[in-house]
Amino acid sequence: MTTVDTAPSHVTAGRGVFTPDLLDRCISCGFCLPVCPTYALTGVETSSPRGRINLMRALETGVLTDDDPTVQEEASFCLGCRACEPVCPAGVQYGVLVEEWRDHLWNGRRRPWKVRPLLWAVDSPRRVRAMGIVRRHAGRRNEAPGPVNLMLGCFERVLYPRVSRVARELGTDLAAPNAQGCCGALHAHNGELRRGEELARELGEALPGTIVATSGGCAAHLAGVLGPERVKEFSQWLHARDGAEPAPERDGAAAGTPTGGGLRIGLQDSCHLRNGMGVWREPRELIATVGEYVELPSAAACCGAAGSYAIVRPKDSARVLDRHLDEIAEADLDVIAVVNAGCYRQLQQGVKRRGLRTRVVHLAELLAGQR
Amino acid sequence: MEEVVGDEHVRTDDGALVTFSTDATPLERGRPDAVVFPATAEEVAGVLRVANELRVPVVPRGSGTNLSAGTVPHHGGIVLVLTRMNAIKEVSGDELVAVCEPGVRTIELAQAAAEKGLLFPPDPGSQSTATVGGNVAECAGGLRAVKYGVTRDYVLGVQAVLPTGEIIRSGGRLVKDVAGYDLRRLLCGSEGTLAVMTELTLRLVPAPEASGYGMAYFPDLADAARAVSRVLASGVLPVTLEFLDQVCIGAVEDYAQIGLDTSAGALLIFGQDGNPAVIDRDLQRMAAACETEGATQVRIAESPEAASQLLEARRAALPSLSRLEPLTLLEDATVPRSRIAEMVEFIQEVARRHELKIGTFGHAGDGNLHPTAVLDPADESAVRRARAAFDEIFARAIELDGTITGEHGIGIVKLRYLERQLGADHMALLRRIKAAFDPHGILNPGKLGS
Repeated sequence: MTTVDTAPSHVTAGRGVFTPDLLDRCISCGFCLPVCPTYALTGVETSSPRGRINLMRALETGVLTDDDPTVQEEASFCLGCRACEPVCPAGVQYGVLVEEWRDHLWNGRRRPWKVRPLLWAVDSPRRVRAMGIVRRHAGRRNEAPGPVNLMLGCFERVLYPRVSRVARELGTDLAAPNAQGCCGALHAHNGELRRGEELARELGEALPGTIVATSGGCAAHLAGVLGPERVKEFSQWLHARDGAEPAPERDGAAAGTPTGGGLRIGLQDSCHLRNGMGVWREPRELIATVGEYVELPSAAACCGAAGSYAIVRPKDSARVLDRHLDEIAEADLDVIAVVNAGCYRQLQQGVKRRGLRTRVVHLAELLAGQR
Repeated sequence: MEEVVGDEHVRTDDGALVTFSTDATPLERGRPDAVVFPATAEEVAGVLRVANELRVPVVPRGSGTNLSAGTVPHHGGIVLVLTRMNAIKEVSGDELVAVCEPGVRTIELAQAAAEKGLLFPPDPGSQSTATVGGNVAECAGGLRAVKYGVTRDYVLGVQAVLPTGEIIRSGGRLVKDVAGYDLRRLLCGSEGTLAVMTELTLRLVPAPEASGYGMAYFPDLADAARAVSRVLASGVLPVTLEFLDQVCIGAVEDYAQIGLDTSAGALLIFGQDGNPAVIDRDLQRMAAACETEGATQVRIAESPEAASQLLEARRAALPSLSRLEPLTLLEDATVPRSRIAEMVEFIQEVARRHELKIGTFGHAGDGNLHPTAVLDPADESAVRRARAAFDEIFARAIELDGTITGEHGIGIVKLRYLERQLGADHMALLRRIKAAFDPHGILNPGKLGS
């Protein structure tokens, strides 16, 4: 009979890797299994939230060691999308647990080598500013912060500088001082929890008042550290300001014609925006003001970008993306809107690879084009 | 094993073994030696033949939502995970029949049926995760049992692999079929101790046109229990008749803040489905029955949104209780409807005496109660007191002509109470049946039939 060597269901005296109350929350009901993208890929409980929490418990109690290959693999294989949180009846904060897990496992040599240069690049506000120097984003040198400030995003200002420009067109009351660094989400998700929190607090000091972020991932991380009352994601902020009335007709547009020209538009939710901040209705309602909103079956599921995941695990990331591309192709969408820089890149590359006709745009670009 | 299913479908790494050591049952665990994922009945047969020859325990498993530790491999051996067998082979509107593999999730089957205007009625709380195979093996219940019955009422036929490796079929697509012992019924609720089911033929019914809901508060649980009897005596067979006791009402309101009356002694939620005119009539009758029995407030939902809000109180019962303390012990003692008040009052008295927090909610229409204790597992005395309290609760359920388990199964955790309910002769017969199917006792040993 084998009854030893299994993790106990509740951890009372552990190694201190995890906040014990968080690990104890899980009642092992398994309601998280069907919403987990990596469980969907493998069909193996070990690659599910409940399975990973059992691995964490085993790690906490010393049943499994830091070097255990399955522990290492699953900490990395998890997308960290937090789709398991809204369906959890016991309110397990899985996102926090997975950050604590990586913080413990990846300190030093075990951090995936591919994310190291990324973390280095965004670690200092100076380097973040330098990254965006040649791109025409919305940031203005020497601009003073206002009551409501647009966060520029470190990768977004390089890859998609137009997003912050159009965000400012839509939100003329947004200030966008150039003197701002990274929000720290990338650090927090890659095993540098404390640095991730420090960066968020530094950004909070650089941008006093309300911070509006055009990337759901940044917004959720900032809101986690600075509090949800100070941090709004762009669609959430715009929706609260304007509501979701159809846009006024522009000059020259024939009265009664939808300004979107009947475009069929889908949305890729940002995982942390939806699962962490509970924002999902707002972008949909805003899209419906400019075209026909089409809900894809997997709109709420992770697209596989998952921060640096697409870079660290490109093959798994592409497998996660596949069903999204299938659905976009089947719905024959004109446009797929995104609300996060990582999803932007992920879908753009996927759509291109498949040769689909669908345009990938950020929600701000979509709205600016129609207003 | 690797030869039978392919090496990528066998896991023996420590991490995987840890994650298949448990199901949804608190405190129970046992480490397997291997986890095997077969894709066909033939592969299942291959695994069982080898295991039988080597006398290795095999524990069949779906999604692991079991609440009686029925899928915990506490004797080690092989965990046989059937989730790769997840094809819905047929949903026939002409014959009102579905054919599927055991690893299909129950909600997927229900959705496939709904697409054809049909209903697969069993709806256990875990239906979004749990598999059809697991639900049949446990004879799962759900919220609609008073009107539609439980899983066993929908199993027409099974294909199953015996522990010795033979593949058999019992029943089929027929409503009437009395050729041979009713093995499909025997396998339904056999908790993976007799055979491994590899294909299921299930009965469907036409989907109801609509549904409607209402709620009533009572000063006292006894009033609510009398209302339940009056409802059922009034010519109404409701689809929903759920109740929450005062502890649950308080916990739900603290957590969800949906404006419940926390001074009430009990909350009853009633519902009907079918033709809209019938729904209206039945909701009125049920409301009147509640008023006659002293309900302090009765409400009928006027819109689907209002109905959804009303059902939220019931949906939130387990989440809100489970957030009070880290350890949640969810039980399913069941009594005849006429004894509900007696049973719940006894549970409350036991909770007071053992200084425990136990909320009771459940399916008033069929007497299926869910006394749910929440405690801190670090408090060893509390864990001991909880065990003692449930000993008393199960004993009382048996005294009231009830059962120790309405829908969760015997598994490991209820085995020690089973003989008290069934008696020694009945237990001996169970063991002889078990031996006839499984001469070497390899299938889910230490559980039902042991």
